[in-house]
Amino acid sequence: MSENSTSQFDSFEKAMKEGAADLLQSVESGKFAEAMQTIQELSEARHKSFYNEVGHLTRSLHDAIRDFQIDTVDQIVTKDEAASKITDATDRLNYVIEMTSRAANVTMDMIDSSVPVAGNLQEQARDLRKDWGRLIQRDLTPTEFRDLYKRMDTFLKDTDENATLLHSNLNSILLEQGYQDLTGQVITKVTDLIRDVEEKLVHLVAVAGRVDSISGIEHEEKRKAEEANDDRGHGPAINSENPEVLSNQDEVDDLLSSLGF
Amino acid sequence: MKILIVDDFSTMRRIIKNLLRDLGFTNTVEADDGTTALPILQAGSIDFLITDWNMPGMTGIELLRVVRADEKLKSIPILMVTAEAKRDQIIAAAQAGVNGYVVKPFTAVALKEKIEKIFERIDGGS
Repeated sequence: MSENSTSQFDSFEKAMKEGAADLLQSVESGKFAEAMQTIQELSEARHKSFYNEVGHLTRSLHDAIRDFQIDTVDQIVTKDEAASKITDATDRLNYVIEMTSRAANVTMDMIDSSVPVAGNLQEQARDLRKDWGRLIQRDLTPTEFRDLYKRMDTFLKDTDENATLLHSNLNSILLEQGYQDLTGQVITKVTDLIRDVEEKLVHLVAVAGRVDSISGIEHEEKRKAEEANDDRGHGPAINSENPEVLSNQDEVDDLLSSLGF
Repeated sequence: MKILIVDDFSTMRRIIKNLLRDLGFTNTVEADDGTTALPILQAGSIDFLITDWNMPGMTGIELLRVVRADEKLKSIPILMVTAEAKRDQIIAAAQAGVNGYVVKPFTAVALKEKIEKIFERIDGGS
């Protein structure tokens, strides 16, 4: 389709060049009726080419809109068919936020539940070790020995139970990392969509540009996109090549110390 | 020692809260941006402020400036914990009177070091 409209435009350009030559010749040789005829023809060619371009533009828009329709085989978000891929992409990215947030919270829940267990084991083991040392030194009274005997039994039982709990918590943490796979897939899809949309937009701009050049419409230079505001923040730095962005804490510390911190 | 943690992501607030707990600071309060942090600060009793930069509503740098301009609040130590790492931004934060700057992703060691350094300075009376 793109090639077709290019050739349409080329043929108009060709007609215009030829027409201009004819026109000049007619005027120079005083054949004004022929000159008028040439102008008329050129005008018609211009209209025809213009309408053709509008037709192509409309078709491009239609195609682009149709292409943006949601995939019915969407496995993650099932919405009604009218929903656009952009809505879908937004949903997908929200899903990434939900997944990562959930994974982080579950992981931290598991850690919160494990930390005191480990602390408790450590404390009991230290106490026992102290008394165990005294036992080795044969420094225990019979009452203390009986107490140690009981405590050792409790400790072994607790260790078994606590280790089982820790093991299960660690497994939950491991499983929770599956979010990386799922969110990775979703983000890849959204990235593909963005690339796709960009291509289509570039094409639309090209078509619109041709319409402009035929119809003689001129646009004011658009102002450059407003520079991102430092105060509003930029989010995490992705491009580590940028010399204006520091890439780690050491560089930040160096900068601050150069400022007298 | 009561610490206010300001970050729009609850996960990050929780991470910081847990790290602070490990460092022995158990008294923490949370806010999700500058706008919600200010009334908490103005109510008094906050001894230390840890804030993110990029937040909806009032950002961390705006909060920093407001706090430094407020007679009652201006002496509160402020640690910025943020993903913002542009040279100009760090300079702006330093000029606005930040006490420490930690870039995300950060380590528990880095956070501990910066907090301790801030307290050393305060105890040193500078």
